[in-house]
Amino acid sequence: MPSTQTPPIAGAAIDPPSLRPPIDDATIERVEPAALRARLEALKAEGYAMLLDLGAVDYLERAPRYDVVYHLLKLPPKIAGVSEIATPLRMRVLCGVSGDPPRLPSVMDLWKSADWAEREVFDLFGIVFDGHANLRRIQMPYDWEGHPLRKDYPVRGPARERAPRPAFVNKNNVQAGTPPSGRTLEALQEQVKRIREGDAP
Amino acid sequence: MLARLDEVARWAQSSSVWPLTMGLACCAIEMMTVTSAEYDIARLGSEVFRSSPRQADLMIVSGRVAWKMAPVVKRLYDQMADPKWVISMGACASSGGIFDNYAIVQGIDTIIPVDVYVPGCPPTPDGLLYAVNLIQQQIREGGRGGILARS
Amino acid sequence: MSSQPLTPEIVSQEGNAMVLSMGPQHPSTHGVLQVMLEIEGESIVKAEPEIGYLHTGIEKTAENLFWSQAQTVIERMDYLAPESNSLCYALAVERLLGITDGIPERACIIRVLLMELTRIASHCVWLGTHGIDLGAISVFFYCFDLRENILDLQESAGGARMHPNYVRVGGLNGDLPDGYLAKLDAFIAKFPGRMRDLRGLLQANPIFQDRTIGVGVLSPEEAVSWNVTGPSLRGSGIAYDVRKAFPYTGYDTYEFDVPTRKQGDAYARFLVRLDEMEQSHRIIEQARRRLDVPGAVLIDDPKVTAPPKETIALSMEALIHHFKIVSEGFRVPPGDVYQAIESPRGELGYYVVSTGENRPYRVRTRPPSMYNLQSVKGLAPGNLIADLVVILGSIDPVFGEVDR
Repeated sequence: MPSTQTPPIAGAAIDPPSLRPPIDDATIERVEPAALRARLEALKAEGYAMLLDLGAVDYLERAPRYDVVYHLLKLPPKIAGVSEIATPLRMRVLCGVSGDPPRLPSVMDLWKSADWAEREVFDLFGIVFDGHANLRRIQMPYDWEGHPLRKDYPVRGPARERAPRPAFVNKNNVQAGTPPSGRTLEALQEQVKRIREGDAP
Repeated sequence: MLARLDEVARWAQSSSVWPLTMGLACCAIEMMTVTSAEYDIARLGSEVFRSSPRQADLMIVSGRVAWKMAPVVKRLYDQMADPKWVISMGACASSGGIFDNYAIVQGIDTIIPVDVYVPGCPPTPDGLLYAVNLIQQQIREGGRGGILARS
Repeated sequence: MSSQPLTPEIVSQEGNAMVLSMGPQHPSTHGVLQVMLEIEGESIVKAEPEIGYLHTGIEKTAENLFWSQAQTVIERMDYLAPESNSLCYALAVERLLGITDGIPERACIIRVLLMELTRIASHCVWLGTHGIDLGAISVFFYCFDLRENILDLQESAGGARMHPNYVRVGGLNGDLPDGYLAKLDAFIAKFPGRMRDLRGLLQANPIFQDRTIGVGVLSPEEAVSWNVTGPSLRGSGIAYDVRKAFPYTGYDTYEFDVPTRKQGDAYARFLVRLDEMEQSHRIIEQARRRLDVPGAVLIDDPKVTAPPKETIALSMEALIHHFKIVSEGFRVPPGDVYQAIESPRGELGYYVVSTGENRPYRVRTRPPSMYNLQSVKGLAPGNLIADLVVILGSIDPVFGEVDR
């Protein structure tokens, strides 16, 4: 059982779900990209009617590089007349992809919520979903280059230099930076000098 | 004689500063709180927050400005009629705040000139009220320049 | 904006349709949302919300901070209910650390208390802004007055009105201060009267009913397909509440109901949220009764939490542990976890991946507001633009969470 003193794992062979027994209430499954679409269709037919979330993780040094994670929820059928439902079931499907660009089939026709989720994964990771009707950027500006959540994308942006600060527009002929009360640095220094010399401040 | 008229005009301007609704993120909630009964910015003259930039003279940029939103902020600032003032509310608008990354403009004074900066994450509504007071003071004294408001 | 591409699915070739961009600066879009509308007259033919105007890169920023530092940026996602982000993240990390059962009882009670107070505060903002959108401006003042009490409580306990960063991995950042319980009692006593006022202002108001009944009807099948959760899902009849389905922090020991309605329109969602506020009050009363017993609020594990300041001058180990926790942060064993809670908007989930370092490897958020907002694409067509304002208000999106 890993503890806080377990040494960190390098990225080469990392597969976090397999590192220890499951610690949350989801059934976890790993699927190959070629079998992904069939497996998800089967799960939907089984009753996993909600695609809770679709996200991706970038394991930079591993092959395959990306893990696309599908979180599914099965809501048991409502018993007529009772508004409480029996315990739902969670499922987690992981699919490792690689490539330039990595490609996966879209599940937009199975769950409508996959529309924006897949667009976001495309925008931030660069994973292309074949069959998506409208695959374009969603979070970043439309003409942005690069996929920010990849591990080789710098956190502060590729070429961030601070934009030069503009000169203030002086409309009222007051020197920029003069406080309205007139207490400039020179005035304060004068005041300190006078105090040091024993005069009234 | 004209100086008296000028003073009266500035007093009138400072007593009815109408902000533009530029609420972006968490600071926007504190900006909304400033309009509520407990803090009541209406007693300072900001009776209404106008959504149209043509009708507003104060832009309170409250919240983090993403690069996607930056052209929108600049366009709205340009559409505001003179004379106009800008309060940069919160750490994110003043300098990028805790988000030193690819997505956030590191200080809106890189795209529009700012008159008062209000620190805080988010600043308390009292801080924003003090900032509006400073704007009023600036209007009355006819000055301009970045002044740090204590929140 | 001029750089926005007009995609083929927005622009249709025939008919009298006009493409109108509503937002991103708009008084009624509840934040920075741009809705590209294809309209004929006042009726909406197609609506495509454009998001990303508040994209902050929180997930990327969190990958470069310590686990406890990342909590501060993550707290700023859903800014109307900051505790929910904090709590969900803390629970996820605690699961990875394996200390979920070791969290002290008092910390769990206070976490539930804070979560329900935040729920009421968030619904207050929702109700106030929903009212303003529809023209009922006085509701705003009543709601924000109630919210002031909650923010006052939060400030005294956590140090800041919003984003107090009070819930920490391992418990809480210090016990409740003196005078907190008295203020809480005053709030508990004040709430039912204020709730009556809020209901009296809007619930039976014929104009409000006219504008919300039958507007934005979300059928249960559509809701499930669009992955809607929270009050919007419960307004369509499906009683899925994470607090009941997958309980956390001791929610299974409290008695409360999960309100649902069958109609699925904006009025149903309105009623569900008002009922939820009352259920939160019920939970707060129960939590308050359990707080009379003193106890610890932070787990006593020096590898995770810093020892109390008083012990540093007396014990060498305490000093070393404190130094290591502050300068390097604690390390979390490798693994992945999906932790979900019921935030005021729906199921907020974090998929946290750790590689054993002192920083998160990946924090993926399951943003309830983003999926709720996506349903606007299905709800808006056929309605007037004025109805779209009602629909957006009844879905209650928060853009810090949608865009992250």
